Amino acid sequence: MDRAAKDIELLERIGMDQIARNARARRRGQLGLGLIFMAPALLMVVGVLLVPVLFNIWLSFTKWKKFTGFGEYAGFANYERMPSNPFFNEAFINTAIWVGASVVFPIALGLGMAMFFRNLRGAETFKNIIFIPRILAPTAVGVLWFYVYAPDGLLNRGLGLVSGRDVDIGWLYNDATVTPAIIATFVWQTAGLVMVLLLLGLAAIPKDPIEAAHIDGANRWQIFRYITLPLLMPTLLMVTILSVLAGFTVFDLLWVMGANYPGQRSLALAVFMYFEAFQKGSWAFGSAVAVIIGLVVLCVTWLQTVLQARVDRMTR
Amino acid sequence: MAFDISTLDLDAIERREAAKHKGSTLKLVAAVGFALLWIVPFYFLAISIFKSSNEYSRNPPLALPEGVAPLWDNVTRAWELGSMGQAMLNSAFYGTVGASLAVFFAAMAAFAITRLDIPFRNGWFMLIFAGTVFPFQMYLIPLFFGYQKLGLLNSHMGMLLFYTAICVPFPTLVLRNFMSGLSREMDEAARMDGASEFTVFFKIILPNTIGPMTAVFLLQFTWIWNDMLFSTVLGNRLETRSIMNALLVFQGSYSSIGPNIVLTAALLASLPSIVLFFLLRKHFMQGLQVQQS
Amino acid sequence: MKLKGKLLGTAVGVMLAAAPALAQEVQLFHDKGFWSEQLQAVGDAAGEATGVTIVETPYANAEQYKAFVQASIASGETPNMFTWWTGATFAELVSSGQIAALDDLWDEMIANGGYGEASKELFMVDGQAYAVPLLLARWVVLYNKPLYAELGLEEPETWDQLMANADAIVAAGETPFLATVHEGWRGFIWFQELMLRMHPEAYNGLNDGSVAYDGPEVRAVFEAWSDMYAKGYFSDPRSTEEFNDYVRGAGAMYLIGEWAAGLVVEAGVPADDLGVFIMPNAVEGAPAAVIVEGSPLVVSVDGAEDADTMEALRYWVSADGANTWGEQTGNYIGNDSANAPNAIVAEVNSDIAETGAAAYLRWWEAVPPDLQGELVAEMNRFMLDPTMETADDVMSTMQTLNAAYWADQ
Repeated sequence: MDRAAKDIELLERIGMDQIARNARARRRGQLGLGLIFMAPALLMVVGVLLVPVLFNIWLSFTKWKKFTGFGEYAGFANYERMPSNPFFNEAFINTAIWVGASVVFPIALGLGMAMFFRNLRGAETFKNIIFIPRILAPTAVGVLWFYVYAPDGLLNRGLGLVSGRDVDIGWLYNDATVTPAIIATFVWQTAGLVMVLLLLGLAAIPKDPIEAAHIDGANRWQIFRYITLPLLMPTLLMVTILSVLAGFTVFDLLWVMGANYPGQRSLALAVFMYFEAFQKGSWAFGSAVAVIIGLVVLCVTWLQTVLQARVDRMTR
Repeated sequence: MAFDISTLDLDAIERREAAKHKGSTLKLVAAVGFALLWIVPFYFLAISIFKSSNEYSRNPPLALPEGVAPLWDNVTRAWELGSMGQAMLNSAFYGTVGASLAVFFAAMAAFAITRLDIPFRNGWFMLIFAGTVFPFQMYLIPLFFGYQKLGLLNSHMGMLLFYTAICVPFPTLVLRNFMSGLSREMDEAARMDGASEFTVFFKIILPNTIGPMTAVFLLQFTWIWNDMLFSTVLGNRLETRSIMNALLVFQGSYSSIGPNIVLTAALLASLPSIVLFFLLRKHFMQGLQVQQS
Repeated sequence: MKLKGKLLGTAVGVMLAAAPALAQEVQLFHDKGFWSEQLQAVGDAAGEATGVTIVETPYANAEQYKAFVQASIASGETPNMFTWWTGATFAELVSSGQIAALDDLWDEMIANGGYGEASKELFMVDGQAYAVPLLLARWVVLYNKPLYAELGLEEPETWDQLMANADAIVAAGETPFLATVHEGWRGFIWFQELMLRMHPEAYNGLNDGSVAYDGPEVRAVFEAWSDMYAKGYFSDPRSTEEFNDYVRGAGAMYLIGEWAAGLVVEAGVPADDLGVFIMPNAVEGAPAAVIVEGSPLVVSVDGAEDADTMEALRYWVSADGANTWGEQTGNYIGNDSANAPNAIVAEVNSDIAETGAAAYLRWWEAVPPDLQGELVAEMNRFMLDPTMETADDVMSTMQTLNAAYWADQ
């Protein structure tokens, strides 16, 4: 029970009913006022965001396709279709790869860059340069890198110069290279943000323990492992969660860069869902896929809350 | 702490300092090299916009342009064929109005949650914050059909409504955190003087929250400007397209025109973000700090 | 107050009186943004001729457009006039019950409009016609006349001649055929053509479940296709600039719909340098055939009751409308009393009249819509790696999808 309610209870117990009643009335009155203040935000979120989510969940249990079948109950039919759909399975695996890669690479690169650039002359300039890709829209970045990866584009020519031979890899056309290539672009775009966030976290670490360790003769690696890293945990955790969610919902890059790739629909669950719903008109099935995406995201978010609480308790 | 200066090995110290210095020069060189490599794609973009279609296909990607002349042609074709003028106006409208409204609504809600005496504070907050918990895919189909039914599809108001709604939850989080840190003396004093809650909100809380509000406004404006998916689904027609949607359509329908023109379009579409970033770098970075908390 | 009221009343009165004098407008929804200007030109011409202006209203891509139409129909607000695709997806549209039958209009068109029964058949479902042509494009081979002249080649009348021409072109250091996977739909172009030329008897069977995608006929097609790639007959499939590529001479011959002639000329090929022939059969003695793409223009049930919509539609199919459309885009809509839009179409028309070529529906329209995207993706995959290994994989994937679809029917 919060403090105000406790106060009211106390007042009641010592017999000051009138005052208690007034307090409760004021509270209810404040609720009305509070609702007025919260109304626009509540209406927008509930009406435009939450109600559609409920509708989506309902839709996933119906059988609706193209022009017909709206509202027909279909039970778990849509969900049962998923494991046997080869594109769904591939999309699922690719999404898992994306989540893994979007955590590991930006953080590894971001952390490396943060440590490297930290005490360097002109650190601000480097920070800005590394960060700039982040301010561009994913769509624009996708368009740019589409031409970087083109068969006669920047990357192949560069590799050709370095290796002395003609390099003609279809980065965005081959099964083996398409996902790594797009992940590389994603890392290029997000490592800057990760680096800046980690720099903020690093700046918050107190200098004394590090200096003490230095004097005690610990080398750089030991200091990093036993002092810096643990104190960086909260920031790292937050960055990890942001990265996971970003990796899960990547769409723009895949949409633009994967446009000519035959298996585009299996590049990620988000893309698969779009194809099913808007291209094939399988609205109900598409909704079900969206629900699956939502479930996993919710799990990850829940995991974050749990981990965050635990880390908070540890660092206190 | 006294010590005998004669015990110090000055040569060794000098050598170590020199080594460190050289090490840091090497580090600098490596850093510069790395940074240059990082921005090669931008360099590629910068020189491609000066090339004509034939030039682009003839020469290597990093070859310097033969002249500045094709730039104007590229820009005009990208602008006209991609209908960028209309799209930029749309995105500017959605971004400024949508983000402002969202931040304002968020401030109101945060005020209620932190400053008013209401039950279930956390509950209300979670309800609003739940808007960010779900992935976008869960909004797509219902919103598409809902808008279609209500006639909001391909309408400016419809797009504005969506953008505002989706930009409410995060600022609410940020402003709630910020407002709970604001000292209560000011509003208590005002209340005792008989000020209504509205006066407290407008005259006291808001002015003190301008900093974080600007920071989240910038973040949300950028998000709206960068949106491609929702514009494609909810407002695909020319009149209501967002700028990134226009870029997507341009690349899809007109890529056969030549990469130099498509790249010019990409740059044009991104110019406002770049300009905004450089002008307001401080606020952006502030926004990141805010995001971290 | 009273003055204001009077003014308001007068204004309203004037508006009401002026209303009939304002031009009527009918919206035409479509997804062919690259023809926006041209469609509007026809729309304006319609306005001048009949008082009803057609306002073209484009959607940016096919998916969005399909979704929009499906949603509109599902919610009972079918657009009055819009474009669609023929074939199985046309049947689906008709089964929604929201599209008007246009048999009466077709009777008029055939009787005194210059149209033929063959054109009407493309737009019939269960014996009734439900659309008029937005365009009727035959799929032909555009070729580089100067190069042919330089190498002393003639338009091939047999398959062997075509292959010989290709060999000569390769020997001269050029690439015979231009073909890419750009935009994800082009993979079927050569597949369907090879299928029709090598196994015409199995062509239609592909799309009713009777011919397997890993059967002997399709295998023969992939073997020939793979062989042609091995001999260096095709250009780089990864290019994203097909028209520009043709202009730059990346391929001497371009298998594409007639409508590309106008676009290629716009991209810089002199109209006189462009030749056309219909691909010859690979099977000796097989009847002449050509693949036709019919793009329908449909009206909703409500639209058919609306005088303005029907007026606009009549203008569209008239010789006047066909001429305007033809001048703008080089598109042919089947109206033989109108001028042939360009030399290419004229030549194709005379070729077909001479050989009596039978019209086969494009694979893109004939294939069940559910399979369309997934099957063409497989064909694209083959083009990017045209070995028989890939072909085996592609064929088995296609047949798995195909069999699963027909098992559900």
